Amino acid sequence: MTAPDVPVVSLPWRVLDDYRCFGCSPHNPFGLGLEFAEHPDGIVTRFCLDRGYESYPGVVHGGLLGVVCDEAMGNLIVLRTGLVAFTTGMRMRYLQPILVGDTCTCVASLSSPESDAGLTSTRAEIFNGAGDLAATSSATYRRVPFSTTRDRISLGDEEADRLDRALTNTIPGVQR
Amino acid sequence: MTTSQNHAATTVTVADITATLTRIVAAELGVPEASISADSNLRTMEGADSVKVLRTVAKIEREYDIELEDADVFEASTVADIARVVHQALETS
Repeated sequence: MTAPDVPVVSLPWRVLDDYRCFGCSPHNPFGLGLEFAEHPDGIVTRFCLDRGYESYPGVVHGGLLGVVCDEAMGNLIVLRTGLVAFTTGMRMRYLQPILVGDTCTCVASLSSPESDAGLTSTRAEIFNGAGDLAATSSATYRRVPFSTTRDRISLGDEEADRLDRALTNTIPGVQR
Repeated sequence: MTTSQNHAATTVTVADITATLTRIVAAELGVPEASISADSNLRTMEGADSVKVLRTVAKIEREYDIELEDADVFEASTVADIARVVHQALETS
């Protein structure tokens, strides 16, 4: 995957030696290995998908674009709140195909104030290599403190403590 | 990129939406705003194509922080049609 041109934001998951997130882990040989950087609207990632992610010949599979948007929006919430964010609903609007081998960008931003129900609404936009808007996404996430979701994640106590500290130490908008 | 405005339905009229939509369509098609009216058909205007129509829809969704139903989007043809759909979405959001 192609990294953004600006300094990469360190995600809290990086304290885990072997996390395998399909979207953002550098340890998953099948994953996208996305990296993120700060952007005036939120965070941005740059990606270039090869034929292993193809749908119709020469066209990137739309589901993968959903993964990119979900990853960008979810990690934006994590970085801004220090909470774990679970997707509760997500919609994609595809405007034009993304071609295999095209270097694209995805920008995620918060779209609405946080609700009392612990929900956060976000948006993401994917631009192709020519800078044309190619897909948009809107989604809702439930923000959950790590302590309340601890039992649903397969981690040993030592790694769980390390991740809990990393999330707690996440300061909104500050690179670590 | 513009920042979402979080428009309140009570303060946005169909005329407001039409003006915003006209601005977006003009930019998308590269034509003067004065050449676009409420009756302008976005699917048959010179320079328009399906991608530009969808891009217009995506930009109006972002402008008003709404999600339009695909059925509404693909049934709408004129600026007035889309403005009405946007207004309805704001009223129910």
